[in-house]
Amino acid sequence: MIELSNVRKVYNLGKVQVNALKGVSLKINKGEYVAIVGPSGSGKSTLMNIIGLLDKPTSGSYKLNGTEISTLNDDQLAYLRNRQIGFVFQSFNLLSKLDALSNVELPMLYAKIPAKERRKRAIKALEIVGLSERIHHKPNELSGGQQQRVAIARAIVMNPSFLLADEPTGNLDTNSSIEIMKIFYQLNEAGTTIVMVTHEQDIANHAKRILRLRDGNIIEDTPIANRITY
Amino acid sequence: MYILEAIKVAIDSILSNKLRALLTMLGIIIGIASVITIVSLGAGGQKAILGEFEKIGVSVFSIKTKNNVEIRESDKLTLKDVEMIRKRLSSVKYAAPITEKFGLAKTDKLTKRAIFIATDFDYGNVSNIKIIYGRFLNEKDILMGRNVVLIDKDSAKELFGYEDCVGKTIKIGSSSSFDTAKIIGVIDSGNLKSLGGSIADQIPVIAAIPITYAQKIFQDVDISQIYVMTYNQNQLDEASSQAVRLIESFHHNKDKYEAENLIGFLEEFNRILSIFTAIIGAIAGISLIVGGIGIMNIMLVSVTERTREIGIRKAIGARQKDILMQFLIEAVAISLLGGAIGIFFGYILSNIIGPFINITPIISINTILIAFLFSSAVGIFFGIYPAQKAARLDPIVALRYE
Repeated sequence: MIELSNVRKVYNLGKVQVNALKGVSLKINKGEYVAIVGPSGSGKSTLMNIIGLLDKPTSGSYKLNGTEISTLNDDQLAYLRNRQIGFVFQSFNLLSKLDALSNVELPMLYAKIPAKERRKRAIKALEIVGLSERIHHKPNELSGGQQQRVAIARAIVMNPSFLLADEPTGNLDTNSSIEIMKIFYQLNEAGTTIVMVTHEQDIANHAKRILRLRDGNIIEDTPIANRITY
Repeated sequence: MYILEAIKVAIDSILSNKLRALLTMLGIIIGIASVITIVSLGAGGQKAILGEFEKIGVSVFSIKTKNNVEIRESDKLTLKDVEMIRKRLSSVKYAAPITEKFGLAKTDKLTKRAIFIATDFDYGNVSNIKIIYGRFLNEKDILMGRNVVLIDKDSAKELFGYEDCVGKTIKIGSSSSFDTAKIIGVIDSGNLKSLGGSIADQIPVIAAIPITYAQKIFQDVDISQIYVMTYNQNQLDEASSQAVRLIESFHHNKDKYEAENLIGFLEEFNRILSIFTAIIGAIAGISLIVGGIGIMNIMLVSVTERTREIGIRKAIGARQKDILMQFLIEAVAISLLGGAIGIFFGYILSNIIGPFINITPIISINTILIAFLFSSAVGIFFGIYPAQKAARLDPIVALRYE
């Protein structure tokens, strides 16, 4: 489903060139639960941006569901992000002026889904993450864990090919982190593909497979033997 | 994104920053309000002045002998000339001779000075004379030179104590001889007084009599002017020259008569008005540009403030076009709202100022439409750059923005 071969990313910072990714190849199949780990500067953010279609590789190939993305324009990438990828961010990234329901409806707005259908699907997504009681709360009226659950509802509401989570528990306390990891576990059990970037080993251990990066290269790609399940 | 949703987002955004939006709109509000005020008062003034012209009659011209040429007895205008103009020119609707005579009007108790307008039955049609009681002169009055008279209502009141004095008799004439005439009508003073000008203010009695009757009781009753009304305003020039030529051929002379009408004055008036409008337009344009810059400024601030929001929207699937529309609609909404408030204040203001300068303001649908059109154009023009800036933000950079 996700297929990277020899992906390089070079940033031009004036006179200095930074090789963020030095030829990464990987393949993630449907139903997988992958944790991408590595120290800061290892290239994991760059890799995540490329997988998330927010950035393009300098060279190499990235095929998403068989589509080569290097030839696509910005609008086509926006379309694919909308349909194929569900983003979960460290800082939740909800729109503060909108309530939970409207936040979850947002991607469907850009997919031109009719209002009634939007509402129905948003309520269902919020039910899945256990927030059906708080659909009209604004982000500042919700706890961090609840906000992240709204974000997960927003990520799954378009039935994307995979969830792309960037340090999803980075801003949460332990209990909330466990809540989120439970939801991820349940979603993955129900068939959702998850790609999660984290630097916490505890969190990474919830995945089925671990990809370790260092200096722009994958240095480890192994299944997790004793993964945490619920 | 659906356009309705985009409008809703824009309105929410404006409402969440009411004071700022209001301050931003101020330029547009002031610009549009002043345009509406000035244009509506201008239109009201124009209508009032055109109304004055219309009263006198824009399809009326007058023929008279020139001042600076020698006029022999045979050159003088006659009732035959009036008859010919009336009968032979197809574009002529009415024609009436007129001459003024000064004299006296007497009742048993009072003697007053009077101005006599000696004319015929068509004068009622070419002028805006208003009959309050009785009737105007008719063809028989003229044909037979009947001793009938119409007097103005103020004089009627003075002479008889009441306005409706139809059927009464009055003695008219010069100081030496008087004739008794029957009052057949009372006319509104205002109109004839305006015709008589400053003389009318000093001579209270204004009386209309058959020109044929005037010839009996006064000496030297020469027709000073012939008033002619055409069917259409655009026949004026043609009819004027035709009438002059007709009279010239009848009197066997040349270059002794001239025709005048109000079209020239009207054109000059409209020219001045259009210069006035252009100046106002320029002032309004400047205030709208200033208002537009205000909108651009605040939209740029708004884009910066909402960089993260833009990043989020882009990450979850908003295309450049969606972001562009969102900010453009917001800019247009601000300027349209400003335009609407401006129209409202312009309406209030023109109705406050109007009575002081004796003008009833006219706010036409066109003015309102143009005001809206202009304010939305300002919104689009000054909103496009900030909106483009927003649309072109790199989502990665935008998401990282604190």
